[in-house]
Amino acid sequence: MTTPCSSAVAPTTQNTALLVASGGDVDELLTNVLASEGWSIQRVADNQHILALVRDKPFDLIVTGRQTRVAEDVELLRKIRSARPHVRLIILTDRFTPGDVISAMREGAFSYFSAPFEPSELAEMVRAAMAEPCWDDGIEVLSGTPEWVSLTARCDLITADRLVQFLHGVRDPSIPEAEKDRVIFAFKEILINAMEHGGHFDSSQHVEISFIRARRAIACRVKDPGKGFSLEELRHAAAGSSPDDLFSHERVRDERGLRPGGFGILLAKKLVDELIYNEMGNEVVLVKYLDPPESPTT
Amino acid sequence: MGLQISIRESGDVTILDLRGRSTINDGESELLSSHLQKLIANGARKLLLNLEDLTQVDSSGISIIVGTYVSLCSQGGDLRLLRPCARVLEVFRVLHLLEIIPKFEDETQALASFGTRGSSATP
Repeated sequence: MTTPCSSAVAPTTQNTALLVASGGDVDELLTNVLASEGWSIQRVADNQHILALVRDKPFDLIVTGRQTRVAEDVELLRKIRSARPHVRLIILTDRFTPGDVISAMREGAFSYFSAPFEPSELAEMVRAAMAEPCWDDGIEVLSGTPEWVSLTARCDLITADRLVQFLHGVRDPSIPEAEKDRVIFAFKEILINAMEHGGHFDSSQHVEISFIRARRAIACRVKDPGKGFSLEELRHAAAGSSPDDLFSHERVRDERGLRPGGFGILLAKKLVDELIYNEMGNEVVLVKYLDPPESPTT
Repeated sequence: MGLQISIRESGDVTILDLRGRSTINDGESELLSSHLQKLIANGARKLLLNLEDLTQVDSSGISIIVGTYVSLCSQGGDLRLLRPCARVLEVFRVLHLLEIIPKFEDETQALASFGTRGSSATP
């Protein structure tokens, strides 16, 4: 547990990032993003001297190099956070194991990118880290095995984004990437709904989340802190519209003065195989079935 | 980058070139919404959304586009989509929105489909 971050101690001098060399396009990308916001950059070739540097100077952001194993980055993060509990550290890696994402979340990494990743998404995450001058981790891993991870997530958009990126970092060769992307997309829609409607984007509120990897299915459970809702009464959402009139919810939203919206649940429903709500409507499970492995021909 | 929007006109069609993401993050979809609302308030009735460089859209972005489509149709206008990338196209497909909102791969064809009188793009 770290002490709360106070904006009163936010640095007033030029922000500085510490970059461990990844090489090529990634270094260039990071340099461009940081320089465009006027950040100064200190570079190191590897993790070797980082701890000494960090003890001397409070870097605002650290980005690890792709060549280092995640286990080493996580160990480094643990040591850095004992001295600098609010450090924002983004792990980039070409060398990872299935459990690394859980370790990175447990230790409070800001984000995690395992190869291959989209440079534009790394750039967005770096910008998000730069925009959070006073940062406290909003993700707490309660328990974690490769098959079952339970955690809580604070009700704010940056925490949702960070969590989604951690999921993208999971590499499971038995799950086709396209299927994984659909599940993550559906999960994000449901998570944002939970944070917005259940938690009112109140950063003192948290959403409970579990991810379960069964042999032939992936399941995500999301429980929000709200009072729930009834799907039957959801006339302001596309999921509650008549199949013959997909846009009827738009008129209801207009009448009620609600912002344009209402496609989240319907979109999630279409992207996974099952979307099951509890009676109160504040807890939902998404299920995606995976094709069974082909049986050997005899 | 978030979302960048540039606006041009071709005859009586207003073309919005969208670049980046239209998601709930960083007010991207709100930005799109405010641009569209301003255009409609200023009299635009035929809108072509060029989605070629739109890399990501979520339910908030979809809602803005659908809301604008519904609003325009009720005012005798129309909205069409141009060249969505695979990732964005899938979102429209799974929601069956392409059965309602026309999509084109060619800008000239898209402009012609509005029945506009002039079709030469202005810089």
